[in-house]
Amino acid sequence: MSHARPVVDAMKPSKPGETRTAPPRPPDGFPSQGNYRAYVAFGFGGFFLFTVSLLVLRAVWALGNGEAAWNRVQASFQNPIYVIFHALAFLWLSWFILRLFRLFPATQPKRIGPFQRPPDALLVAGLSGAFAVVTLIVAAILWGCA
Amino acid sequence: MAETQKKTIVVTRFDPDRDEAPRQQSYEIPVEPDWKVLDALNYIKDHVDPTLSHRWSCRMAVCGSCGMNVDGSPKLTCKDALSEYGDTVEVTPLANFPVVRDLVVDIEGFMDRFQKVKPFILRAKELSVEAGPTRQSPAELDDFRQFSMCINCMLCYAACPVITNEPDFLGPAAIALGHRYNLDTRDEGQAERNKVFREDGGIFACSYAGECSEVCPKHVDPSGAIQQAKLANVIDWLTGLVLRRGEAR
Amino acid sequence: MRRVLLVLEPVIWVLFSAGMMVGGLLLPAWALVMGVAGPLGIASTATSYDHFYALASNPLGRLVLLAAMALPLWGGAHHLRHLWLDFGGLRSDGLVGTLCYGGALLGSLLAIVAVVRL
Repeated sequence: MSHARPVVDAMKPSKPGETRTAPPRPPDGFPSQGNYRAYVAFGFGGFFLFTVSLLVLRAVWALGNGEAAWNRVQASFQNPIYVIFHALAFLWLSWFILRLFRLFPATQPKRIGPFQRPPDALLVAGLSGAFAVVTLIVAAILWGCA
Repeated sequence: MAETQKKTIVVTRFDPDRDEAPRQQSYEIPVEPDWKVLDALNYIKDHVDPTLSHRWSCRMAVCGSCGMNVDGSPKLTCKDALSEYGDTVEVTPLANFPVVRDLVVDIEGFMDRFQKVKPFILRAKELSVEAGPTRQSPAELDDFRQFSMCINCMLCYAACPVITNEPDFLGPAAIALGHRYNLDTRDEGQAERNKVFREDGGIFACSYAGECSEVCPKHVDPSGAIQQAKLANVIDWLTGLVLRRGEAR
Repeated sequence: MRRVLLVLEPVIWVLFSAGMMVGGLLLPAWALVMGVAGPLGIASTATSYDHFYALASNPLGRLVLLAAMALPLWGGAHHLRHLWLDFGGLRSDGLVGTLCYGGALLGSLLAIVAVVRL
């Protein structure tokens, strides 16, 4: 537990002290234990945000090039690697946004003028519900039902 | 009569005059069921090894002196029950700080950051005594009250992965305190503090790990303060682009 | 390079926040339908050119697609840059940050072109 690699320079004082100090050690458990794990996984959600939006761009660009180009891109998405990637992206990004919504209330000021911040549980439930509704609507539109 | 329980406390030792690097030393001691971790350390110092060095003072979680890593987590050792740990308990100095000796860390780096955020009321023009007391409603007090509860124990710094990797980061307690003053209706120093917040190592270096709030013994929620400060800072930055503002002295 | 990124930090943060929200709200549905159900043949209309062109080419469709393509790039770029820092990458932060945000900027510009030319 305490055998982590020491880092240099963390919390270094502006004036050197009078005795030699031992170098600081990084937090135990980072990155793979406890809450750090969720934090790193959340950060890695950035990879899916970046790549999925680039794949949307790829599809929309092909759309602009005409039906043949569009069909070629759609055929390429049938590759099992793409399907697994998108399935993983769906799960990871859903977890990502629900976690973000859980953390959201604390990021807001307690009060704006006369309006108090709503109770945290209410905010989280509302935002999570909105995610479910938006996902259903967007999925329905894309699916061709709406 | 019940047999006294024993625990092994594994402590980091470091004497800069004798040791090349920190080492660990084990002490097997009798413990009482109601002890905190600090009681075990004080027992070691009083009865076993008087050379052990550690900071402590109030024994009631208000002074912030006794912060250490216990079994890997930053804790106030005067508040942390020993009974929650197994037969072996590892006590190391707070992570992310240079170590002066044994369990004592160099906190000057924190004091530097503390001063940078100007944690006091800043006024463009001082009010005269004749103007009377400054009135503040309970709602206005409530806006910043939580962030004023910090006891400067620095457990948050020991938990923060950004502190580990970005040497200039102001850190949770300093930012929460700066934000506390930005929220205070008596204060006029927001523009000045927000400029400090935008410097290298400022608030935008925070990546919202949230571990600081997890370990805070006073429920200050510094990570909430930092995220609130980011939004306030963007608004301040935008208004600063448009308006030329005077600054508090 | 780090200095430049520091000056732009408030703007980047706003784009990043918007990117997380928009990306988290819109991209899961996209991934599920266009990435899984469509290619597997479960949602055959989804992959039809006529159907998607009709959705994408109206003004609202263009706007939503632009948001879904451009904003999450900033969310992703910021997260990735900070992950890099969390694993000790401070010394190359200027380069990595520039690559991340540069990529997001390029993608955003391409996204604008992509919706305009539909």
